[in-house]
Amino acid sequence: MNLRLPRAATAALGACLLLGAAQQVLADDAYDLQREVMAGGCANCHGTDGARTGNVPPLAGRDADYLEERLLAFKRDEVADTTIMNRIAKGFSDDELTSLAEHFANVEQE
Amino acid sequence: MSFDNTPFQPRLGVSRRQVLKGMGAASSLPLIGGFAPAFASNSDGRVVVIGGGFGGATAAKYLKRANPNLAVTLVEPARTFYTCPFSNLYLGGLREMSKIAHGYDELRDRYGVEVVHTLAQDLDPDSHTVSLANGDTLHYDKLVLSPGIDIRWNALEGYDEAAAELVPHAWKAGPQTELLRRQLEGMEDGGTFVLVAPENPFRCPPGPYERASMVAHYLSQHKPSSKVLILDAKDNFSKQGLFTSGWEQLYGDSIEWVGLSGDGRVTRVDAENREVETEFGTVHRADVLNVVPPQKAGWIAERAGVTDDSGWVPVKPETFESQQVADIYVVGDATVAAPMPKSGFCANAQAKVAAAAIVASLRGDSAPDPYWSNTCYSLIGPEYGISVAGVYRIQDGVIAEVEGSGGLSPSDASPEIRQMEAEYAVGWYNAICQDTWGTDA
Ligand SMILES: Cc1cc2nc3c(=O)[nH]c(=O)nc-3n(C[C@H](O)[C@H](O)[C@H](O)COP(=O)(O)OP(=O)(O)OC[C@H]3O[C@@H](n4cnc5c(N)ncnc54)[C@H](O)[C@@H]3O)c2cc1C
Repeated sequence: MNLRLPRAATAALGACLLLGAAQQVLADDAYDLQREVMAGGCANCHGTDGARTGNVPPLAGRDADYLEERLLAFKRDEVADTTIMNRIAKGFSDDELTSLAEHFANVEQE
Repeated sequence: MSFDNTPFQPRLGVSRRQVLKGMGAASSLPLIGGFAPAFASNSDGRVVVIGGGFGGATAAKYLKRANPNLAVTLVEPARTFYTCPFSNLYLGGLREMSKIAHGYDELRDRYGVEVVHTLAQDLDPDSHTVSLANGDTLHYDKLVLSPGIDIRWNALEGYDEAAAELVPHAWKAGPQTELLRRQLEGMEDGGTFVLVAPENPFRCPPGPYERASMVAHYLSQHKPSSKVLILDAKDNFSKQGLFTSGWEQLYGDSIEWVGLSGDGRVTRVDAENREVETEFGTVHRADVLNVVPPQKAGWIAERAGVTDDSGWVPVKPETFESQQVADIYVVGDATVAAPMPKSGFCANAQAKVAAAAIVASLRGDSAPDPYWSNTCYSLIGPEYGISVAGVYRIQDGVIAEVEGSGGLSPSDASPEIRQMEAEYAVGWYNAICQDTWGTDA
């Protein structure tokens, strides 16, 4: 999960890590286990963190409103020529879809 | 310099991958003194993962993503893992063997998983130790088992390990798959390929029928007078209507399926003569014979004491921890997880749930609510794909498909949709392999 972080901060962090303080910094709780588990299955077609590009569209870093709107439209069978996303989206509540949209919007694409 | 007073950790959501990347060279520092990470004293816990297939490799990666301070050791004998998914495409001539091969570099180099290429030989749940074929012993706080399936040799009369060298199962990808391909190549035009399909449960419910499709594709290109005969121990199978109509469209009557009530259940195999006998005594001679035999959980599961009388592993649905032995989490084909099928997709999904449960438990937290999903694509022809999907949650204490979700590709889909599904099948394969091993095929 790549939450957005200013580049400089990331770089500074990397530098500090090289100084050997890796152990403490890694024990963060920003990795939201619950959301990761909810989003876990998405990676199987969209890649880890939804960041894979290819014929299956990437999710990482896209606009949250756009993702939410698409997911809800899939769930309501409003997208023509859908193959499986309508079948998958129906497995989640609207709130869960919103949460997934936010989750992927906050992933930084490489 | 201490991190305790740096402003941007830990609450600011430090990118874990960034951190790991930053560590790059540094991550190997603790090893220099000869400490194996599994024995690192200042870790948040030691997890040993047995099996580097879909379930095990995913578990190792997602454990490290969630908590890089865990010492995670992955035990897998093979340096190169060949996936069963898309091995049927290899048989059909649509993919090279090297394009279903994956390694462990990313798990080791990027995520800091210690990968040990040997077999786990035995387990002692009381002392929380695993003994390895290389002579080492590993201690664990939590163990993940994802050993896949083993064949029940002789459960089908005449089908033992020696018979499998003559009549391959090719239900574990690798040399068996290559043997079957060579036999197909050596077959005369006008011959019959006989596929023996087992009762449920078994690895990959649509697998035998995708295999029949891909073999028929190969034959249609190279040996057009040949036939495919499926002898089945069941009266119905996964995506049956979609397969049957796809077969008719693409292969006419060259694929014949005989189910249980049509005397399709094979009870004896004569590997030397490539003959099989059914329940009511019909003998079928094959030019190439492929037996998908009865299966059970990988043998190490039995050693661990986690299997029940069925030969499979009952698990607690919330976490995939064994119902029988504490601190052993079992994922993938080895488990009883119906209505989830025994698929690579599900093995990966279950591994993520188990990894999160382990991370939470080692912190003293309760496990997050589990979510699982599945999509099994099958190729009937190079441009003809179908799928079955499912989303699963816990209902009344058991795993259940979320009502209204999932299901099959429509029976009346256009050729364009079938083609899109064939393309998405490839997209799925590439993505799940990237998610599991980090390697593109
Ligand atoms: C022909 C075919 C087609 C398929 N197609 C698809 C598909 O399209 N989509 C899909 O989702 N699934 C598909 N599957 C199913 C998929 O292959 C399995 O569901 C998946 O491999 C299960 O993952 P696993 O981790 O349980 O087992 P595996 O992936 O088999 O991994 C088990 C690993 O454990 C290792 N191991 C076993 N015992 C030990 C031990 N004692 N010590 C150390 N290591 C050990 C083995 O070497 C192996 O590498 C297909 C299967 C077949 C046969």
